[in-house]
Amino acid sequence: MSGHVKNMCPQLSISQAARTLLSLLLVAAIDSVSAGVVCRKQPCGSSLQRSLKLTKLIHKESVDLLKTYKVSQGDMSELFCQMSINNVPDPNISGLDPSERMLSIYSHCKAFLPHLKRVTEQQTDLQPPSSALLSKLSTAQNRTNGLANQINCIYQTFFPNLPIPPEPVDGPTSVPPSQNVFQQKVYGCVVLKRFKEFLSRVTRELRTLKSQVCTRRTSFADTNALF
Amino acid sequence: MLSLLCLMMFVPRVFSSSTPPAVIFPQDPALRMGTSLTATCTVSPERGLHANTMYWTMNGKRLPSSTYDLLSPNGLSVTLHHLNGSQQQSGDNLVCHSGDGHVLAGSCLYVGMPPEKPVNLTCWSRNTKDLSCKWTPGGRGETFIKTKYTLKYKLRWYGRERECEDYSTGQHYTCYIPRDLALFTPYEIWVEASNQLGTATSDVITLDILDVVTTDPPDNVHVSRVGELEDQLTVHWGSPPALKDFLFQAKYQIRYRLEDSTEWKVVDDVGNQTSCRLAGLRAGTVYFVQVRCNPVGIYGSRKAGIWSDWSHPSAASTPQSERLQSGSCEPKSGEQNSTLRRELKQFFGWVRKHSYGCSGMSIKLYDQWRVWLQKSHRTRNQVALWKHTEPSLP
Repeated sequence: MSGHVKNMCPQLSISQAARTLLSLLLVAAIDSVSAGVVCRKQPCGSSLQRSLKLTKLIHKESVDLLKTYKVSQGDMSELFCQMSINNVPDPNISGLDPSERMLSIYSHCKAFLPHLKRVTEQQTDLQPPSSALLSKLSTAQNRTNGLANQINCIYQTFFPNLPIPPEPVDGPTSVPPSQNVFQQKVYGCVVLKRFKEFLSRVTRELRTLKSQVCTRRTSFADTNALF
Repeated sequence: MLSLLCLMMFVPRVFSSSTPPAVIFPQDPALRMGTSLTATCTVSPERGLHANTMYWTMNGKRLPSSTYDLLSPNGLSVTLHHLNGSQQQSGDNLVCHSGDGHVLAGSCLYVGMPPEKPVNLTCWSRNTKDLSCKWTPGGRGETFIKTKYTLKYKLRWYGRERECEDYSTGQHYTCYIPRDLALFTPYEIWVEASNQLGTATSDVITLDILDVVTTDPPDNVHVSRVGELEDQLTVHWGSPPALKDFLFQAKYQIRYRLEDSTEWKVVDDVGNQTSCRLAGLRAGTVYFVQVRCNPVGIYGSRKAGIWSDWSHPSAASTPQSERLQSGSCEPKSGEQNSTLRRELKQFFGWVRKHSYGCSGMSIKLYDQWRVWLQKSHRTRNQVALWKHTEPSLP
């Protein structure tokens, strides 16, 4: 009997350990995967620095993108950019504390993406297939998506207790319905101009966030180290 | 009044959910070059703008008021005669402005020509596996507006009409059909051109895939001396690998030139052999040689195919004539010897540098060195040219 008992115990402990390990792994997986993005924890300064570099690159490219766009639409297209259109994201970053502002950057990136996509579709019909504008628009979309994912990960890492809102829905209200050609030209100009301005703001914001968020985390670490 | 009512029906609700400031009619029209257009800008009454303060621009250039017509307190038209072809593919921007310059509305004009019949349609197949076609736009080839070309094909006696899908081969006016082609049965192939002003269709060509076959250039082309014969070289090559898969023969063509010349001489009567001897050459001279292949007798047919591209150049030199070295009107033997000696010295230096050693010594090595020498001379000249033209750094 004792042998039987002795045999039982190791089996029980193994299955308990396995279950505990599995639970821990599951929690870690859920914790790190949110909004469809798998994030690995990374040092504060370097992650924001990477995002800052990416933002600078996209911003630089957006200046050239807007120039190329205007040339492709013909003369007088400068005025198109100044017209007002509803439903195009504004370039301003909102929020009072770093978490809100980071979230605002993420949301704006996601909000611009369907508009960039729509402009690409429209210009594909309007421009010759070899047009440099089309490849630049495609690059802008890919990089903005990448930036959104990076900001998402940074947000989850530094503000793990704060919820991230669900992905914005690409619905009929986010991009305008069918437009005539002139309206398409105006729409594209407004989108790309605001996109460029947004990226300029993100560049400044990330510099500020880096000093605010990373410095604060360093202070906590130092304090904990005393104990 | 009726036209105004019609205009109201066309009001687009896309700039915002509120009423746009004005509308233009017609919106985004396609027009033939040389024709006239009258466009109307009607501003919403609640804007409080009077039409006599408005003006028009076309591609940023203000249109003269002599072309305007005041239709109503809130409607202004403009008439344009003898329209030129559109400046950009996205259309010319005809814009209606308020007096202070704000854009009220716009319309993009597509002014061009209907396409002309595409011409010079030719097709070829690589090793009977695929079909590539190219054509030339008809007329001057410039329609000023977006024109779509569609290559279509069908089996002559049965089968449905199909469209070529791959226009992205990097060249204009080409299309590529990668697979699923029938043999021993003719295809009918044509090109349709269309734009907003009309369509045009090329002549139909009829071909059997097996009649338009080309293949890869021969590989392993070797050129070597024929003993000590100073006026001959022999060329050997391999038949293109794809020929092994097909029941066709091949005929070949050789071309060769002097090292320092751009003029090629062609040897046409090579037949289906994979070697050939070149004669009547200059002694002591480097020659560049290329070979190409034409698949003939595909599956028993006697028809020739299409010549392949030329192979990569191969080089060899003919032996130096001894007669030149012993008293003639050519450079004196002493000078000839010193030139030869200098050249040999350079050659041995190159051999040592590349560690070939004496065991690798052969006249072939000498020929390789001559080829290298020519390439490095060209590179040095290019660098010199670059250095000459590049602005000097401060």
